[in-house]
Amino acid sequence: MTRARRLFLAAACALMGAGPAFAHKPSDSYLSLRLQHDRLDGRWDIALRDLDVVLDLDRNEDGRIDWGEVRTRLAEIDRYALGHLRVAAAAPCALGVADHRVDRHSDGAYVVLALGGSCAGGESLSIDYSLLFDVDAQHRGLLKLDIVDGADTHVVTAVFPADRRQQVFPLQGVSAGTQLLGYLRDGVIHIAAGYDHLLFLLALLLPAVLVRRQGAWVPVPNVAPAAGSVVKTVTAFTLAHSATLALATLGVVSLPARLTESAIAASVLLTAIDNLVAVLPSKRWIVAFAFGLVHGFGFASVLADLDLPRSSLALSLVGFNLGVETGQLILVALFIPLAYAARRKSMYQPVVLQGGSIAIAVLAAGWLIDRSLNLGLMPF
Amino acid sequence: MTTFRLVALAVPLLGAWLTAGAAAPYRPASDSEVLERLPAGRDRAADRAVRAMRALLARDPADLDVALRLAQWQLQKARATSDPRQLGQAQAVLAPWWNETAPPVPVLLLRATIRQSSHAFDAARGDLEQATAREPGNAQAWLTLATIQQVTGDLAGAARSCEHTQPAASATIATICRAAVDGVAGQAARAYAALDALTSRERLANEPVAVQTWAMTLQAELAERLDRGSDAEHWYRTSLAKDPGDAYTLAAYADFLLDANRPGDVAALVASDTPVDNLLLRRAQADRLLGSADAAVGARALSDRFAALRARGDRVHLREEARFRLALEQTPDIALDLALQNWAVQKEPLDARIALECALAAGKPHAADAVVRWIDATRLEGRQIAALAQRVRAP
Repeated sequence: MTRARRLFLAAACALMGAGPAFAHKPSDSYLSLRLQHDRLDGRWDIALRDLDVVLDLDRNEDGRIDWGEVRTRLAEIDRYALGHLRVAAAAPCALGVADHRVDRHSDGAYVVLALGGSCAGGESLSIDYSLLFDVDAQHRGLLKLDIVDGADTHVVTAVFPADRRQQVFPLQGVSAGTQLLGYLRDGVIHIAAGYDHLLFLLALLLPAVLVRRQGAWVPVPNVAPAAGSVVKTVTAFTLAHSATLALATLGVVSLPARLTESAIAASVLLTAIDNLVAVLPSKRWIVAFAFGLVHGFGFASVLADLDLPRSSLALSLVGFNLGVETGQLILVALFIPLAYAARRKSMYQPVVLQGGSIAIAVLAAGWLIDRSLNLGLMPF
Repeated sequence: MTTFRLVALAVPLLGAWLTAGAAAPYRPASDSEVLERLPAGRDRAADRAVRAMRALLARDPADLDVALRLAQWQLQKARATSDPRQLGQAQAVLAPWWNETAPPVPVLLLRATIRQSSHAFDAARGDLEQATAREPGNAQAWLTLATIQQVTGDLAGAARSCEHTQPAASATIATICRAAVDGVAGQAARAYAALDALTSRERLANEPVAVQTWAMTLQAELAERLDRGSDAEHWYRTSLAKDPGDAYTLAAYADFLLDANRPGDVAALVASDTPVDNLLLRRAQADRLLGSADAAVGARALSDRFAALRARGDRVHLREEARFRLALEQTPDIALDLALQNWAVQKEPLDARIALECALAAGKPHAADAVVRWIDATRLEGRQIAALAQRVRAP
């Protein structure tokens, strides 16, 4: 047959083969990995027909591959396979083949390598897959990766074609640092959008630039007593709500939302009233601490709504709490300098302290009624 | 959190491969247990030649002559055994030139053939336009270009490319090439007469078997389009007598038999364990019409195979999957979606037909308006196509 004729054979193929008259599919291997702590296990299904191309499994050339032809070559198969898979976390993972089986897929028999090894920590898993690409450019590695993290399992799937041999998989979906920032932002947002907490803080801070002398408020003479009062108040509030936030989030204490929400409203109301008529202990940090315990439960219910994975609970707790503190410090930083500057102004007491407290008290009373009776009338 | 949830949703789709077709792994009891049969047995002489070529390439992967011979052999084997693995292996052999913008013309031809097999029609057409520009007398390049133009619906371009094969190739090739185009462009009678002249004058006998069966199967398809059932059957059988294993002809003949409501003959033609997806689909359709229990087995196997193809990201099977979803799973909405995706890429008579059938079955005839316009514009003939198009026009 002339060269031209041979070529036409191929052309006829092209013409007739326009519809895919194919048996099965091109070559794939199926790699299934499970990473749990420092342990990497899995199975790797590789088609016998593919291994035959590189290792000539059909030694007796009878057009069939029997188990004897595979069993006696398992060491070579392992060496070939493992030589084309690099898995690394913080450092390269040591992988070995613990067992061999056979399985059938839609396009024939596969040898199943049971993989096992260790994989020391790290924020991501890098997989470098190069099986068979040198002999079959359309081969693909199909990966299913289970990342076990406490009670959670994240499943990732990926395809490795010849032009994307190396892929990196984050081990926690997002890095711990990013997660922490996310919770921190949630905390700031919550305090900024949680008017009850803000107003409670404001009610506590309105008289921080004043001191009570025989039942009447007088401006502090200089910055020191005001600063001391603010630091003591904010610290007490923080310690108290952090404690109950942690207890509630960890499931140690659990209170019904209606009760805590009503108690929070009551705490705002009482604090505002106390600014007008002394009804609470004169030491403000004690008030801040006692009511802070109540507010912590409120924060916890927000955190619970975020539907956190149990595995990153500690991280989320710290992040969220730091966010709340950040939000609250911003309020302090904005309000206290202004209040300090205005403390001697004649309008401060009647307008800011009394007017403000009355407004807060009215709002808090509304909340209290709304929440305790479960009316759902208040817009926020 | 949210990302994990999205991943978790995607898992049942992408993770289907782990369960698709995979039974429980086991350890064979005896060394003599046969695990796998290599396609079409083994041709020892050819094997040795392939091994020798591989050895030469291992020493010098850039040996163009050896690479071309090996890749060519693999493409022929891909067709003879319906084995798509051979395509990927041929591509690997051509790796030193694969990503070049202007590789040697023979590489362009092979690359185009491999690319069109994975439905990368634009890239394949680009290769062939380059090849024909560099070697205007290359009949092979024009012929392959004509194929791709026809499959993608550029019938005028295909007809022109067929004319270009003439000076370099035998008139026979040009005649068959042109008849294939005319046959889907409202000239089926003329095309049939041209082929009849070829086959009756026995000019065909001097051509390679693949060219002979190409002409015969085409003549059968044209006879079918002209509603000449007994002639169609005659030519399908003549073609299969020449090459009984030709998967394309088997599939076309099986379709003819299904249309003639002869599912029993399909079951006799195609084995229930055929490895060829196209043929298994027809066999399962026949089994279903026969009320055979094999229908469920075949449907299950097809479902696994389509899942495995989807998992690797292949989109070459859309037409077959549309037909599978319509005829066997009876989910016309899903089938219609697949058929229309396929229609955006391929425009052969089978592509038009499945799109029309799905649109009607899904109760959305207007989804196939573009297909009907296409049929009107190209004047595609055929009783079934005409009836379906009529129903879409006036539901």
